[in-house]
Amino acid sequence: MHDPSQPSALRPLVEVDDLTKSFGARGGLSQILGAASQRQLIAVDAVSFQINAGEILGLVGESGSGKTTLGRCLLRLVEPSSGQVRFDGRDLISLSKGDLRVARRQMQMIFQDPYSALNPRMTIRQMLSEVLRFHRICTDAAIPARIAELLALVGLDQSAADRLPRHFSGGQRQRIGIARALAVEPRFIVADEPVSAVDVSVQAQIMNLLLDLRDQLGLTILLIAHDLSVVRYVSDRVGVLYLGRLVEIAPRAQIFAAPRHPYTQALLRAAPRPDPDRHPTQPAIAGEPPSPLNPPPGCHFHTRCPLATSRCKSEMPQLQTVSDGHQVRCHHHDLALLNPLPR
Amino acid sequence: MSLLDIRNLTTRISTSRGVMNVVEDVSFTVEPGECFGIVGESGSGKSMTCRSILGLLSKSGSATGAAWFEGQDLLTLKSGALEQIRGRQIAMIVQDAASALNPVVRIGTQIAEAMVQHGLVSSKAEARQRSLDLMSKVGIPAAEGRIDDYPHQFSGGMCQRVVIAAALSCSPKLIIADEPTTALDVTIQDQILRLLVALQAEFGMSLILVTHDMGVVAQTCQRVAVMYGGELVEMADTASLFRTPRHPYTMGLLNCVPHLDRDVGTARLRPIPGAPPDLMNPPAGCRFHPRCPLANDACKSTRPPLREVAAGHFSRCLRQDVLGEEIWTAESARA
Amino acid sequence: MTSQVRRQARPSRMAQMGGLISGAAILTVILLASLLASHLIPYDPIEQNLRDTLQPPSLAHLFGTDNFGRDIFARVLHAAKLDLMIGFLCVVFPWMLGLALGGIAGYFGGLADTLIMRTVDTFTAFPFLIMVIGVIAIMGPGLFGMYVALTMAGWSIYARIVRAEVLVIKKSEYILAARSLGYGHGRILLRHVIPNVVTPTIIFAMTDMVLVILSTTSLSFLGLGVQPPTPEWGVMIAEGRGFILSAWWMVTLPGLAVVLVGVALSLFGDGIARILREGSQA
Repeated sequence: MHDPSQPSALRPLVEVDDLTKSFGARGGLSQILGAASQRQLIAVDAVSFQINAGEILGLVGESGSGKTTLGRCLLRLVEPSSGQVRFDGRDLISLSKGDLRVARRQMQMIFQDPYSALNPRMTIRQMLSEVLRFHRICTDAAIPARIAELLALVGLDQSAADRLPRHFSGGQRQRIGIARALAVEPRFIVADEPVSAVDVSVQAQIMNLLLDLRDQLGLTILLIAHDLSVVRYVSDRVGVLYLGRLVEIAPRAQIFAAPRHPYTQALLRAAPRPDPDRHPTQPAIAGEPPSPLNPPPGCHFHTRCPLATSRCKSEMPQLQTVSDGHQVRCHHHDLALLNPLPR
Repeated sequence: MSLLDIRNLTTRISTSRGVMNVVEDVSFTVEPGECFGIVGESGSGKSMTCRSILGLLSKSGSATGAAWFEGQDLLTLKSGALEQIRGRQIAMIVQDAASALNPVVRIGTQIAEAMVQHGLVSSKAEARQRSLDLMSKVGIPAAEGRIDDYPHQFSGGMCQRVVIAAALSCSPKLIIADEPTTALDVTIQDQILRLLVALQAEFGMSLILVTHDMGVVAQTCQRVAVMYGGELVEMADTASLFRTPRHPYTMGLLNCVPHLDRDVGTARLRPIPGAPPDLMNPPAGCRFHPRCPLANDACKSTRPPLREVAAGHFSRCLRQDVLGEEIWTAESARA
Repeated sequence: MTSQVRRQARPSRMAQMGGLISGAAILTVILLASLLASHLIPYDPIEQNLRDTLQPPSLAHLFGTDNFGRDIFARVLHAAKLDLMIGFLCVVFPWMLGLALGGIAGYFGGLADTLIMRTVDTFTAFPFLIMVIGVIAIMGPGLFGMYVALTMAGWSIYARIVRAEVLVIKKSEYILAARSLGYGHGRILLRHVIPNVVTPTIIFAMTDMVLVILSTTSLSFLGLGVQPPTPEWGVMIAEGRGFILSAWWMVTLPGLAVVLVGVALSLFGDGIARILREGSQA
């Protein structure tokens, strides 16, 4: 299925079909031990979407939404339980270990915690040299020049190459992580909360870097974030996850102008804005997110949804297309449109 | 008469690499019933300021200056007298609620602990009843069934509510909340902030809200102080600070935060170049000058004083009169 | 208005380094002296000289002579070489074994982890002396038997330490990054995991060395380790048992040597540990 928002007949670069990941024992010893240990955690629940080449898809969700697990499944850093992930038409899940290693060059990850993402005992030069040598990106003689290019690409000074990670700030470490990902010359990058652990004044630097990489290198990026304003600034399209399910996906302008899922609306209402005239007195949404170990039947969101009916409690809504490129998983998405957002 | 009057607070920490001033000459007041925000990034000194007020520094830290509260200078009090004030008159809420709670003590006991310590309840039954009341007040559903639970049975948001209940238990005059919602999801953060504001109004307390999130202070606080590199660089009522910022750092922060309510099209955010200063070796003169597009020679050599540049609006910038939006255009787009 | 400044005395950098430096100095002196022993002292440590038995310390014999007329100072120095070498090797072998097995157990988990850790549990379950005596009983008393015995008794704790550290490191994002870059398990384990878990083992090894030397001297004292006439501190103390009242120098002076080396190693080890801890703070 091609993304209808893209008029061109190009195949999407990344296609995800019914991707599911569950944790927890099933059968065998746990059956003997009893029902309690058979509880499964379905972290990613039959998620499907596509990402076109050169586009940034922003995936938003709170804790328990499964967004980090989803990102890792795309790279097979976590093995999916079922479903398909196709990269440039080729299924990743069925690849052998050897083929996967080759395929890994095409897709890389940027991690959330800059203080844990770099090996504390390797200098930047050692780390990047290892990558370049392992994948035979260039000849040994060309390595220093390539390292210099990578550092310049992410906006770091050349003197950074021979220092250890502990000499760098959070923002700089994040850039080093990006340089490492770029060293293999990937076509696709999963950026897992790349600015969450970085100071506010530095976040814009990293966000601009990601936009530059899209514009100058034609990179395709999956941006995972919990901060809607970051997603708005960086993404071309946005998807919203709730308790492992994709509940809404649309081009950026549409999802912020006219969100059709009550959860998306609640997220937008709850996010704080630097606007002194805005003084909400009531919380955007009541209640706690349900435990992923014990998700509510039917629509997962019904326990907190102002529009919930008995149908929502028993029947899981399917993802429906409401307009060009805009899909929603809600029985009452028409009502949601009528529900004004107090901004 | 202000509830809390901080004057020239300076906090030094000695480390193996030397001594650094994590808080430098900070002065501000908090009025009764007011929500006062302190906003800053990491290393700005905002958390250290709170800890200094309550005497919660580690052995390697020391604070000078004065912190006047109800006629007493908190910085001169011995630990016995300070303990009378902590929890009773001034309560503190920290970022990671789950680790603020003792994992092997029941929730009800922890909420009542301060009341028992300060002799405000006369029996176990009374303590229990007060705990139940507080739990309902902070929005913990089915309090009766949960009062004997342990912290690990609560979610992050619920743990924070428990911590708030404990903080409220002695009806303090002031609550200091140090990044109370940073570790929480945005919908839960929203709930907790509304709760804090509602409780503040109901109990008539003052609230110092420390955060790095400009959006949080805009929607929650009446007055705001901006901290950078250990110094207080701007202070004003919220509306004035956001509409007419009078310090390049504040203005830079407001310009580099992405907007939730509008697209910027193809225009780029204007980040502040560089990084926060190393407090072991702070820059001479104005601490922000290495990153400031307006910096001139005076800025690099003289430490600017905090001056009142408009009614109730203070700024520590020598050049704030030439401050305009355009300073952050061509300069910082190169970052 | 200034307040009382709460200041806490903090040991200066020099004072902190003092332990490391003095420990290192003592060890260096002992090591050099033991290596140059044959050149420094004209007496042969083994050759008997029955005319000069049981002489008290004097200028001619700094530590006196024993019941066979052997110069005790010469014997103490030669023993130093032996004891330090045993101390070193009987830490290095367990360290390498524990690092390898603990690393494999922690990194791969599953069956490897179960097999290795149950083996560790088995070894740990044996009281130290029982295991050592048992091994020596099988292999016969002597230096080689002692190496084997001490290694078998000592490796399991290293495996535990390493496994615990590896379990933590395994969750780091740079390990995940290494996998996403396509690196194989061997490379990740050797180049990325092990270098980051080594520090706590070295810190522990410093303490362990003291204990090993004490164990060596104790075993030799009991007649289970080094055999006479090879000079070794424990052996010498055993030989001096019968002469405690008449020739105190036979027992006391080798004993003091043990204490001196133990203290020096502890000071040195603490200093190294502090440096390594500071250096490994990311």
